[in-house]
This record gives sequence, C-alpha cells and structure tokens, in this order.
Amino acid sequence: MKRESPLLPESDAREAALFFVIGALCFLAALAALTTRGTYAAAAAWGDQIEGEVTVILEGTDRRIAAEVTGEIENLAGISQARLLSREEIEDLLAPSFGPGGLPEGLPVPMLIAVQVDMDTADPIPGIEIVLGEFGVAGEVGTHAGFAAHVQNALAVLRLVGFGAVGLLVATAIAVIAFATQAALLARRDIVNVLHLSGAEDRFIAALFARRFWGLATQAGTGGALGALMITALIVFLASSSAGAEAELLPRLSLDIWDILILFSTPVAAGLAARAAARLTVLRALKEVR
Amino acid sequence: MSRIRFDFEDNSAVRLDGVSLSYGKNEDILREVDLTLAQGSFSFLTGPSGAGKSTLLKLMYLALAPGRGDVCLFGRSTRLLKRRDLVGIRRRIGVVFQEFRLLNHLNAFENVALPLRVAGQKLASYQNEVEDLLRWVGLSERIGARPSELSGGEQQRVAIARALINKPDLLIADEPTGNVDPEMSRKILRLFMELNKRFGTTVVIATHDLGIVEEFNRPAYHIQQGRLRARRKGGAT
Repeated sequence: MKRESPLLPESDAREAALFFVIGALCFLAALAALTTRGTYAAAAAWGDQIEGEVTVILEGTDRRIAAEVTGEIENLAGISQARLLSREEIEDLLAPSFGPGGLPEGLPVPMLIAVQVDMDTADPIPGIEIVLGEFGVAGEVGTHAGFAAHVQNALAVLRLVGFGAVGLLVATAIAVIAFATQAALLARRDIVNVLHLSGAEDRFIAALFARRFWGLATQAGTGGALGALMITALIVFLASSSAGAEAELLPRLSLDIWDILILFSTPVAAGLAARAAARLTVLRALKEVR
Repeated sequence: MSRIRFDFEDNSAVRLDGVSLSYGKNEDILREVDLTLAQGSFSFLTGPSGAGKSTLLKLMYLALAPGRGDVCLFGRSTRLLKRRDLVGIRRRIGVVFQEFRLLNHLNAFENVALPLRVAGQKLASYQNEVEDLLRWVGLSERIGARPSELSGGEQQRVAIARALINKPDLLIADEPTGNVDPEMSRKILRLFMELNKRFGTTVVIATHDLGIVEEFNRPAYHIQQGRLRARRKGGAT
C-alpha cells in the first residue's frame, strides 16, 4: 500500500461554500483592521499637526512690524518655524466665510503668524506674549486646543468603532465555522459513529475535524488576506499618485511591518478559530452519544 | 450513593441485569432482560423483525445505554464507567453491523484496518495481517476496491474482516449471513466457530435464519416483544 486515505472524505460542495464564506470574512476583517489602523494613523498625524501649530493674530499694526515680530518669535526656544501669512493666504482662509464673491475691497484683515511649535519643549505661549508686549502690539495667541480635543475624541471613537468592527467580524467567522462544523458532523454522523464504535477516542475524532477545518480556514484566510492586500496596494497606489488634497481623504495605508503582520496573522487567526470551534463542537456532539 | 461493583467471581463476557429500554416516551423495546453469556461461549439470538434483537446487541456493543438495569462486560459494570474506559472496552469488541457501515471513501483494505488505525497502529505493523484476513475471506483480488465497487456479499465479508482484525474478545454479529449465499453463510459461521474454539472469542449472532441455528446446534435465545427467553431445540422457548 502506498498511502492511507484520510479518515474523513475529501471536501464536498458544502465545504466549498464554507471556504468562500471564511475567505470573504477574512478579507473583510483584514481590510477593516488595515483601514482602521490607516485611518487612525492619518487622523493621529492630523491631530499632531494641529496640536503643534499656534496662530498669532496681530491687530492694529503694519506689515513691517509684523515681520519683525515674526522673526523674534522664530528665535524663541521651542519654536521650529514662524511665518507671516501673505494677504492672499489670509484671504484664502477667510474666503469660505464670504462666499464666491470673496472679501470686499478695503476690508481690513488681521495679520496672521503661523507658528510651528516643537512638541517636546515646554509651553512657548508665554514667550510669544512677552515678544508681543515688547513690540507694543495687541495680539492674540490661538492654540487650537478646543479643536484638537475634538479631534482626539473623534480618534477615540474611531478606534472603538474600528476594533468593534474587527471584533464583530472575527466573532462572526467563529460562529460560522462552529455552525459549519455542526453541519459537517451531522452530514458525517455515519463516519463519526463507525469511528466511535471502532474504538476511536473522542479526542481522536475531534482532531480529525479540527485538522480539516484548520486547513480549510487557513487556505480561505490566505485567500481573503491576499484580497485585502491587493485592495490595500491599490489604495496606496491611488494615494501616492494623488498629490492634491484628495490624497488626505484616503486612509494612511503604508503596507509597513504592522500591516504585513495583520495580513499574515489573518489566516493563522482564522485557522486557530476554526480548529478550536471544530474541536469543541465535535467533543460536545460526541458527549451526546454513548 | 451508587458504588462501583467489582465482581471477581464473574467470568461472563456479557451480563445484562434487569435491562429495560425505550426510545423517548414510547413503550419499552426491551423489558427486564436478564442474560449472561460466559466468556468463550457461542450463542444465537433469534426473533422476528422489530423484536429488539438489534437493540439488545447495541447495548452489548455500547452504542446505547439501558434505561433501567445494568450491562456488565467482561465482569465490569458499564453504568459508572468513564468515557475513556468505554473506549478500552469497545476495542475488545468486534461488531458486524446489519447494514455493514463501511466507509465509502475508504477501500476494502482501509476499511478492514480501521480499528487498528484508530487505535494508533502504523500501516507497516498491520499491512500483512489485513491482507491475510482479506485473503482468508476471499477478497484478495478486491483489496483496493471501494464499497461502491463491491457486491453486497463482498461488502459483508469486508465488514466481517473489520470486526475480526482486532482479534476481539467478544464478537457481535447482526444478521451476518443476511446478504450472502448459503455456502458463504456456512463458511462465515464456520469461521466464527473456529475463532470461538481457537481463541476463546465469545460470539453472539443475531439471525432470523432458524435453519442455521438448528444446523450449528448452539445455545440460542429468542426475543419477542422485548422479552428474552432461552430457546430450546426444535424452536420451543
């Protein structure tokens, strides 16, 4: 004899359907995990950017003094850059409030200084206020703190929703596998009975089903993860080829080591879930026969 | 509190004490059945269809548990045994099922080798043994055939070989001659008797073929409407 046949018959149409379902669930779970991580990374970077920026609004002064104030602020410790915005830039910022007609001619607009703050150093705002006092300029320092708090709250919600979605998909996959195992067991009750009455231990029979479903789920999971990889690669490609603001709308997918880890762990997680579900289902079902 | 009984004097292979069984809330299929089969005995179980022969055998090969009473195998009560201990007892029992119960995706060789394989034995250790047994039942040319490629009689012989491969202490056969011609029936019965004589295997055969029971002249029990009676020569119970 060359080789023994497996004790469970080759897969049938039911298992082909299950293969598709597990593959689709793994695809969705991997994509949800990658998207959640990418979106979170993009939002976190945006949050950092907002938190690291301070706007100084100068009132009742001319552009020459404003430029001097800007230079002085840039020399302060903890300031990486200070830049006096041009009138055009300020008009662009205010344009949404004035509609398509733009700003009325002759309307006085404040001077704005965009300051990039070094996040690792102490609060630089008192230093900026001292500079304003030294120049005798009335001004206000805006930290975007309220806006940044909203962004942080949104990030927390986003993280919860992302984890929830991934968790729900994983739980669904496990439930589907458990139901499928029960169905396979019902369909193969005759085989289980013969094995049982031939002196097979419960764990031996459970191991047969666990191995079968481990193989099926890891293969299906690999297919799903490959699908997610292709979609991710497409998004990365679209993001890299879009130089404009629309690129900012795409999740920050990079296919770094963590993304690769998610893709590799998807079929393993699916396989482990299938193995455990199959084993438990079979053991429970066998407890009902003598 | 229940206590496990160790009966060191009991040399029976099978002992049923006041066994009754019903499926669900239906009427009892077996009623207060008492039966002792000594180790090394050879017995027939007769009775009309639906009388409870197969159910009685299922109790003996541990496919069912009694509703009331106790089933003792090889001197041990099975009532309080743990599942893993039942496995050990099952491996001492060979069963020829009425409907064969061969696995359709395995060939004749693999079906016969099944009890050894599930017990963890390796192919190399049982290959010759399985081939010898298949040759003995006249299937050496059909060793690689799947059940769907075998006739009813051939399937029956594979089922018998599977029951014998373990050299069981107790052989239970449910209508083992139901699908074979009279010549093969006698050959199978002679094989069972040889096993019984040479290895001391306890044999119990359920059959409705009273001609065979008369011809082989062994103790017989008759079951009717769930009640078991010893059957005397000439068919009286």
